[in-house]
Amino acid sequence: MSGWRAGPAQWAMVAPVQALLVGVIFLPSLYVFWLSLNKSSFGVDPTFVGLANYAEILSDPYFWRAFRNTVVVVLVVVHLELLLALGAALLFAGGVPARRTMIAIMLAPYAISEVAAVVMWRFMMDPQIGMVSRALAALGLPTLEWAVEPAHGLLLAGLLSVWLHLPFTFLILYSARLALPGDLYEAARIDGASAWQQCLRITLPLLVPAMLVAMLFRYVFAFRLFSEIWLITQGGPARQTEVMAVYLYLEAFRYNEFGLAAATGWLMVVASLLLAIPYLRQMYKRMFAPEGQA
Amino acid sequence: MTRPLHVRLLRHLALAMLVAWSAFPIALVVASSFKPARDIFVHPPRWLFMPTLENYAGLVKRWPDFFHHLANSAIVAAGATLLAVCASALAAYAYSRWRSRALTASAFSMIFIRLIPPIVITLPLFPAVNELALNDTHLVLVLLYATFFVSLGTLVLRAFVDQIPRELDEAAMVDGASPFGVFRRVILPLCAQGMVAVGVFVLVYAWNEFLFAFIFTTTKAKTAPLTLSEMTGAIDGVEWGVLFAATTLQLAPIVAIVVAAQKYLIAGLTAGATKG
Repeated sequence: MSGWRAGPAQWAMVAPVQALLVGVIFLPSLYVFWLSLNKSSFGVDPTFVGLANYAEILSDPYFWRAFRNTVVVVLVVVHLELLLALGAALLFAGGVPARRTMIAIMLAPYAISEVAAVVMWRFMMDPQIGMVSRALAALGLPTLEWAVEPAHGLLLAGLLSVWLHLPFTFLILYSARLALPGDLYEAARIDGASAWQQCLRITLPLLVPAMLVAMLFRYVFAFRLFSEIWLITQGGPARQTEVMAVYLYLEAFRYNEFGLAAATGWLMVVASLLLAIPYLRQMYKRMFAPEGQA
Repeated sequence: MTRPLHVRLLRHLALAMLVAWSAFPIALVVASSFKPARDIFVHPPRWLFMPTLENYAGLVKRWPDFFHHLANSAIVAAGATLLAVCASALAAYAYSRWRSRALTASAFSMIFIRLIPPIVITLPLFPAVNELALNDTHLVLVLLYATFFVSLGTLVLRAFVDQIPRELDEAAMVDGASPFGVFRRVILPLCAQGMVAVGVFVLVYAWNEFLFAFIFTTTKAKTAPLTLSEMTGAIDGVEWGVLFAATTLQLAPIVAIVVAAQKYLIAGLTAGATKG
């Protein structure tokens, strides 16, 4: 189905969306690039320093710690989340009692703000009064000392992140599973395939594209992680739990090093785009496909 | 097909664990907000107790501004939702019906721009917003929240508009309707489902967002999540009961909306994820 030729009226229709995106995100991020090439602080005129800001952050051990923390948290969070979401999607697709209510419960964390989630998890995990901590201690297991032990702080932030975003990943995989044609399973049953074989040979391979989409989205969005870390550890103790976004925030709004913060920001932009290349390529091919295939 | 008993048991166990994982933290905080102070820290937690409103009374007394901040959240969320849904619907209609290389390029750039992390743009926007005297206003949050959802909104709504037969547009045009007339009288009523879905996406984001509110507001336009974070970080120890009351008030309306709009959310997410 080919479209009508676009004219000025169509540009008027897309103008509000484009104006917001260009004015609020695109032009400011170009300015960030320029800012990253300058030495700049509060109330001081920027002076051009070339790539010095990049050299400085790339030799800053705190930057590398933030980078390493981000990579570890993103990898753990996204893959744990995909695994849980896949399990839940298959379970729900196989039929559950009171399906609508169960889905509503699965969806609920999607509606919770990061701050409210931090309230819940800090209360449950409080080393003194938290019931999960006390239950762990009663079982003789170690508890999370998230305020003092950097790895524990990151783990708690990661758990919280999984909790907040599981509904999104679950829904993507669940609706992809429901969209698989039923006659495939019919044919497999006639051939005598067991439920396990059907899952392994039909469901999982056919779900791969949806899993890739979900994974890519979550990589890009988990990479921005800020609030969970900020609200649990503020990057401490001793700057050991910073992630990229927290590092950027502190450089900009605590140390007033706008040039360094901008260089960090621009590296984040590049990393986000690199992560999304497979998705961008696929979108590009589909959108610029010859008429009739789009 | 009936499953063997042990498989059925395992499935029920898995479902119970998923439900507990999702619902327990929320249920715990909501229940605790109605508990008298001495019952909040009882271990193991007590699910039977005399409900009391003393935590809510404490909230009114000690954090009277919280209700003002809830109202700010509502204003900002409503404004961002309205702006994002209207702008997205209009763009979705154009992208669904008309073609040109430049138009396609602009649709692609929309997806591209959306990948830029929000924190990056706070650097130039912070001084710019101050310069324009827009800091601590509802407007700046409305613009930011709407902008970060117009890409997804346009993609989702485009998938919905694509399903409306073009013959309906053509019939209306034969009757003399302009493109905008067709949009108002044919497209908008027929993609109402998609608009609800997009509206809920924006509403949830704007109601809950922390980072932009933290950077761009201080007192007048401060939103509820900021007050919650202040209560969490109170130096003289956290008043858990009051905090739970505030958290419950913040989360109850939005959870109710998400649960009520479940059907539309799933339809919207499916359209957005498969088509873009």
